[in-house]
Amino acid sequence: MRFSVAAEWVELPLKQFVDEARVQLAVLLYPSGQVLGQFGFGRSVDVMTACALSAAITASSAELGRMVDGTPFTDLHYAGRDKQLFLGQVPIADGALVFLTVFDDESSLGLVQLFFREFCAVTASVVPSSNAETPALSDDFERELNHNLAVLFGRQ
Amino acid sequence: MSLVNYATREITCKIVYYGPGRSGKTTNLHYIYSQVPSNRKGQMVSLATQTDRTLFFDFLPIDLGVISGFSTRFQLYTVPGQVYYQTTRKLVLHGADGVVFVADSQARQLDENMESLQDLHANLADHGVDARRLPFVMQYNKQDLPADLILGVPELEEQLNFRGVPSFAADALHGRGVFESLRALSEQVLRKLSNPGGGQR
Repeated sequence: MRFSVAAEWVELPLKQFVDEARVQLAVLLYPSGQVLGQFGFGRSVDVMTACALSAAITASSAELGRMVDGTPFTDLHYAGRDKQLFLGQVPIADGALVFLTVFDDESSLGLVQLFFREFCAVTASVVPSSNAETPALSDDFERELNHNLAVLFGRQ
Repeated sequence: MSLVNYATREITCKIVYYGPGRSGKTTNLHYIYSQVPSNRKGQMVSLATQTDRTLFFDFLPIDLGVISGFSTRFQLYTVPGQVYYQTTRKLVLHGADGVVFVADSQARQLDENMESLQDLHANLADHGVDARRLPFVMQYNKQDLPADLILGVPELEEQLNFRGVPSFAADALHGRGVFESLRALSEQVLRKLSNPGGGQR
């Protein structure tokens, strides 16, 4: 099990949450489904799938909440036989992030909710207001891209 | 938006296959899934109806390997094409780094193609995205059908490709044009990362 983060500022709140709430999986993502940081997943492609589904559940449950209750549902809890899932929104200055965590009987919903509130507070205090970094690949990336795609599609 | 982690040198991009119902968006993903080795892809997730029509989206994560020193991953999504899934399409489009528009080449589907293209532009505008700056390719699918049923590429270009974006004739069921569409869009998406202010090439 390991942590991986796509943005440095995610590391502190995520580690704190995982240590204190004793969860098995945790992932913070943008509402568009892009991962910001995770704990517990083995493969990056599995993280991406969890993020895509979490973003979809968040978006659709929010719409359902608006429809039946006039306001979006923001947090969801599902109790399975061995594992439980908690999906919540983390308010930040310019919107909200999505947080998914999975836990078993080493933890509890109360514990998760308690430390999730702390996680929200810490995250809101460290999240940068905008992504100021300017990504830059080298200009000759096409050769590697074409090569990698050809390998991927078995054309080489 | 693309996520770039300079510390771990990773890039993650979101690509959306858009187009009218039954144009072949899911077929594109199925073909890609069938071609990519299992250690470079995740499970293909299809949130579909019992008759296999896309209900929310299809999703396929793939690992492109190292490009310019960055581990590069693409998240491929489709949207449901039917008109009444407008809200879902808008949600899936959120944060897209690039769009492959999968048009149905059948002559009788021309209006649906145009309607879907307008719907795409409206949804991008709602997300505050300037469609002219979004990496975009056009794919004319089902070009394998009998000639009397379909429109030729020149006519489809005239009717749909008013922006003059890269376009590809395709038969997604057998893979023709699928790789080329993905490669052209990947190039545009990564070009934007190499030259953020330079716009589309």
